[in-house]
Amino acid sequence: MKQIIAIIRDEQIEATKQGLESIGLRGITFLYVTGRGQQKGKVSAQELGTSLNRHLRMQLESARTGNTTRDGKASEVPAPFHKDTEFAFGFLPKRMLIIIAPDEEVNRIVQAIVNANQTGKHGDGRIFVCPMISAIRVRTGEQGDKALF
Amino acid sequence: MKMIWAVTRPESAQRVIKALDTIGIGGMTRLHVTGHGRELRITLGTVHYSEIPKEMLMIVVPDGDVAKTVTTIRAEAKNSSKSQPDEGSIGDGKIFVTYAEDTFAIRTAGKTGGT
Repeated sequence: MKQIIAIIRDEQIEATKQGLESIGLRGITFLYVTGRGQQKGKVSAQELGTSLNRHLRMQLESARTGNTTRDGKASEVPAPFHKDTEFAFGFLPKRMLIIIAPDEEVNRIVQAIVNANQTGKHGDGRIFVCPMISAIRVRTGEQGDKALF
Repeated sequence: MKMIWAVTRPESAQRVIKALDTIGIGGMTRLHVTGHGRELRITLGTVHYSEIPKEMLMIVVPDGDVAKTVTTIRAEAKNSSKSQPDEGSIGDGKIFVTYAEDTFAIRTAGKTGGT
């Protein structure tokens, strides 16, 4: 049994869901996370704008229109690299997917995630495959691979 | 490869991130979580807060970098008193290290050696 942790772009979530559904995968856990890769979150403003969910975009727009820091001085760093926001260290909004799957399904799932997310640009994300010892279905108490499907 | 999950206080998280930058670990994922350890709850008057906000960092590094990563995180995340400079305080967080067997970069769909 393996745990697959995938970190993908926020806006690719629907495509990924469809891709995973089409290979018959049911159980996925989604998390809102922020993250960065080796580029430390340096992307163009346009690219950043499309990747933000609505809440964060609103946050950013208020920073841009105000263009001042909390103490009233003009900000040295223009939005979206406003130093008061979470993006100061280059952390961009991402989605984390956690999938527990039997060993033989791992390749198919990784392939489906890659197909749905690959754009060839920096920031496409990472997939980590980790060992998982057991799974128990709460409803019935089934254990192991039986509990997954 | 090893996967490191570090739970820290929200106010220490940025210090930890800066310190990891300086040792050359750039890629990481950050989660806002709540929870508690030995502190159990914060009590203000009659109100108990048992879901204490924490910041979780997920970092995948090659086996050789685990020791320096853990040392760096611990050095920045602990809040020591002057009498006991080596020890932190309750609630400073925990660092968990687990296996990551494979890492794929979606951009190239090739296996990579770390984050």
